[in-house]
Amino acid sequence: MLHPLEETSILSACELAKQVHLNGEALTILKSASLTLTDGESVAIVGASGSGKSTLLSLLAGLDRPSGGEVWLLGEPLSTLSEDARARLRRDRVGFVFQNFQLMPQLTALENVMLPLELSGHPKPEAAARAMLERVGLGQRLRHYPKHLSGGEQQRVALARAFVIRPRLLFADEPTGNLDAATGRQIIDLLFQLNAEEGTALVLVTHDTELAGRCDAIYRLVDGRLVGARP
Amino acid sequence: MSAWHRLMWSLRMARRELVAGELTVLALALFVAVTAMTSVAFFSDRIERALTRQATQLLAADLVLNADAPWPEAFRAGAVARGLELAESASFPSMVMAGDAATLATLKAVSERYPLRGALTVQAGGAEKSAGAPAPGTAWLDARLMAKLGVKQGDAVEVGQRRLTVAGQIVREPDATLDLYSFVPRLLLNHADLASTGLVQEGSRIRWRLMVAGEAAAVADYRREASARLPRGARVENVEEARPEVRTALERARRFLGLTAMLTVALSAAAVALAVRRYLARHWQSVAVLRCLGLTSREVGALFTGLFALLALAAGALGTVAGFGAQALLLTLAAGWLGADALPAPGPLPWAMGPLSALLLLGGLALPPLSTVRRIPAVAVLRVELPARRVGWLTPLAAVFVLLTLTAYLVGETVAALWILAALAGFLAAVGLVALAAVLLLRRLPLAGRVGWRYGVANLARRPALAMIQVVALSVGLMALLTLTVVRADLIGAWRASVPADAPNKFVINIQPEQRDTVADLFALDGRRAPELAPMVRARLVAINGRPVRPAAYRDERARRLAEREFNLSWRDSLPEGNRVTAGRFWAGQGAKPQFSVEEGLAGTLGIRMGDTLSFDIAGSVYKARVTSLREVPWDSFRVNFFVLAPPDWFSRQPASYITSFRLPADEEAFASRMVERLPNLTVIDVGVILDEVRGVVERLAQAVEAMFVLALAAGVLVLWAALTATRDERLFDVALLRALGASRRQLKSVLLAELACLGGLAGLLAGLGAMALGSVAALQLFKLPFFANPWLPLLGLALGTVVVALAGWPLLRKVARTAPMTVLRRE
Ligand SMILES: Nc1ncnc2c1ncn2[C@@H]1O[C@H](COP(=O)(O)OP(=O)(O)OP(=O)(O)O)[C@@H](O)[C@H]1O
Ligand SMILES: [Mg+2]
Repeated sequence: MLHPLEETSILSACELAKQVHLNGEALTILKSASLTLTDGESVAIVGASGSGKSTLLSLLAGLDRPSGGEVWLLGEPLSTLSEDARARLRRDRVGFVFQNFQLMPQLTALENVMLPLELSGHPKPEAAARAMLERVGLGQRLRHYPKHLSGGEQQRVALARAFVIRPRLLFADEPTGNLDAATGRQIIDLLFQLNAEEGTALVLVTHDTELAGRCDAIYRLVDGRLVGARP
Repeated sequence: MSAWHRLMWSLRMARRELVAGELTVLALALFVAVTAMTSVAFFSDRIERALTRQATQLLAADLVLNADAPWPEAFRAGAVARGLELAESASFPSMVMAGDAATLATLKAVSERYPLRGALTVQAGGAEKSAGAPAPGTAWLDARLMAKLGVKQGDAVEVGQRRLTVAGQIVREPDATLDLYSFVPRLLLNHADLASTGLVQEGSRIRWRLMVAGEAAAVADYRREASARLPRGARVENVEEARPEVRTALERARRFLGLTAMLTVALSAAAVALAVRRYLARHWQSVAVLRCLGLTSREVGALFTGLFALLALAAGALGTVAGFGAQALLLTLAAGWLGADALPAPGPLPWAMGPLSALLLLGGLALPPLSTVRRIPAVAVLRVELPARRVGWLTPLAAVFVLLTLTAYLVGETVAALWILAALAGFLAAVGLVALAAVLLLRRLPLAGRVGWRYGVANLARRPALAMIQVVALSVGLMALLTLTVVRADLIGAWRASVPADAPNKFVINIQPEQRDTVADLFALDGRRAPELAPMVRARLVAINGRPVRPAAYRDERARRLAEREFNLSWRDSLPEGNRVTAGRFWAGQGAKPQFSVEEGLAGTLGIRMGDTLSFDIAGSVYKARVTSLREVPWDSFRVNFFVLAPPDWFSRQPASYITSFRLPADEEAFASRMVERLPNLTVIDVGVILDEVRGVVERLAQAVEAMFVLALAAGVLVLWAALTATRDERLFDVALLRALGASRRQLKSVLLAELACLGGLAGLLAGLGAMALGSVAALQLFKLPFFANPWLPLLGLALGTVVVALAGWPLLRKVARTAPMTVLRRE
């Protein structure tokens, strides 16, 4: 499948391939994966464990380099950019939510949320971060360190950190993977609520088909290829 | 981000890290290192000044020129032209008479401004006061002279053709030790009266001294100028020789301080290295997140560099202030002697050194691993993917080396620095190897026993590198603790004992061979143990290896003087007590063939080496033999010692006199008088005052040094702490895994306990051995003290290691028991 680069697309991948070398043996994780995402759109990527979903996400977000193919992120072809240039591209435009939260343990909830604002030179990082934490219902826990927060609370801080910069695009890798069903549902509701309010495009990697069903499109990763399309 | 923006952000991040406690160990380690370095820097700066001051007091001036003829006017004019104060003295032996009594005394005529430095204390009219030169026509006499002549204040004494009135009794004369026979009774008269005594004649043995004092630069300038134009038979008086005993004490104190400071710096460096390692290991994930959020690798580098620089500057500044405080404390402890009140404030150098050394230390230790951290890719948030960790050793080693050298330089001990460095490097290498071998051995061992033990040991063996780091770090910390407690007590004990409580305070010279039995009887009669009498003959060194010794050929002033002087040779059949042979062998027993044993320092000064043939002229006959041993002599033991020794039955036919020393309690002075009454030719010399002074100096300096050790101890504790926390995270992760795999809490606890006990025991044992070795090296090489290695150290180390590590691991064990495996896997 080949998706032409559309005018409105903010993310587009074309025949992505990824091979890694392990102990001298080449291991092919992705063969040919293509997809396109327009502004404000949400897509889900599903697939069996070990099928390469996280790998694909890392390529789409420019965290890693593909062995073949090309990714256009926010209009830029990533293959032409250095790791640092890709980092600058992500800054204040791309948000992340991970299965294991990835909060900075040495920073309080508030400081974690302030971090991306500070990086992008926001004039009033504290006020904005405070407001965002209140939006996710953690207005009372500003000064708490991650280790004193429950899994669900940590993930809400992560969501706040991701949305506080009003990103054009959000990558989420199994955001509910470490949470119980009820907490997971709360997080997902929050995710889609913010997604809708902020008009953020969303790439969601998940096992959960019900969750995937709430997205505008579902892709399935099978044997290194992306199949399926927008309904 | 703009540079300003970035700096502010670094500052904020630093504050957050500090608040979160991430930087505690690192900051403390830096702080302790800087405090140790700067306090020693400040302190030795002041010791140096005090030393110089004390020396000038012994000279009664800043500089003394000594000649056997009156000084030409040009030398006086030169001093006056430089704005220096000037005084003069002339001293010589002469008979002093009062009525029928007559005795030999050292006369010293002093000019008006005398003394320029220090104080002359006299007792006149029942009160002690400090005084200058006696008024013309009067004289100050010391107590011995007054007693011998039976005169009191107001009486008259005759000196040559001049009558002088006794105006008072000398209590303390600052520069008395400059005269060779300072133990001969003394008389001070006014310089203006000198001519009228009629004693200044051709051939009279007068030492003419020109004394100057003033601004240091002007004195140095004058010294240079005068040294270049010294007339024949003139010399610059050398202060270092004035009090060799005090000098020895000070040098030891300096070495102790230097050793402590260097140990502290080395330990702090180890703590810093461990803390940096832990800090960065804990921040891998954070860096990946930051990269994800859009930070470039340069910005990551800048963030941590800025953070570390801020930390170094802050810890450096605080450490410097604390160092100044610590130095003030040391000074109080040593105060009586140092005279802290009048000392000028320390120079600016130590102030700048603190922050700079913190920067150097952290820079050297943190930059290499930081360059790896910069390369952490963003994708590490999804997958543990670490860049190759090939951390260079060169930079950290260089940094630590530079720092130690700097400390050594500050303390003035480069040799000591090399020894410490070598000892530490040797210890690290040895411990590393042993640890690795032990771990590898454990891996091979078919392990039986309880589950806990088996897994605990297997845990250790599974990651040899980690286990090695732990064992090395732990043993460094434990060794420091042992060295600083047990070994330190032993060393300081040995130091204090070097001026023993029963050190002789009386020397008796001029005992004739036939009087030996009488002396022995006198002691026996009084119920005292007779001291050993050492024979002594006057000899002149005439040739080394057949080449005539010409004093003028020596460039070194001290060497020239030694070569000029007559030596006291002695013979004996065994090594004198307290002496240590540093090269060759000392002869044993009677009947050894003719040979010489020479004191090490003298050999060095005169250029005498092992195997050289020396020729001594004794009363016209030349005695020639090879040097078969060099000795180190404990001058501060106050026993009779000789520069050159030979076996008996060689020149023993030559006219010899005997010398001995013994201790006489203050209230038994009568014994000395009885001895002199019985054998009037004997001279009894009292060294009690010098002895007390040396003992006082040692005592006060020992206190100061002990205080300094506290700092080093803190560094040792820090290393231990750092070593235990540095690997805590890895261990916690292991534990979580085991828990996840279904190990029960009890099983886990026993696994951990086994691992910790094993680790602690091994580290402690190595530490004990290391401390033993370090103590011995320090005692023998640095302090020249007799030292017996404490045999309990290895055992103590083993016990201490096991207990400390197990105790330190206790919170970890509790934490393990409390937390669910998942939390640990996720978080820590
Ligand atoms: N750098 C790498 N080196 C070696 N193997 C890798 C590397 N990256 C990914 N893999 C392998 O590629 C496969 C896909 O990994 P990936 O993490 O993308 O799967 P996933 O679909 O996200 O699985 P899960 O649902 O369990 O998270 C796995 O077998 C993984 O071990
Ligand atoms: Mg995955």
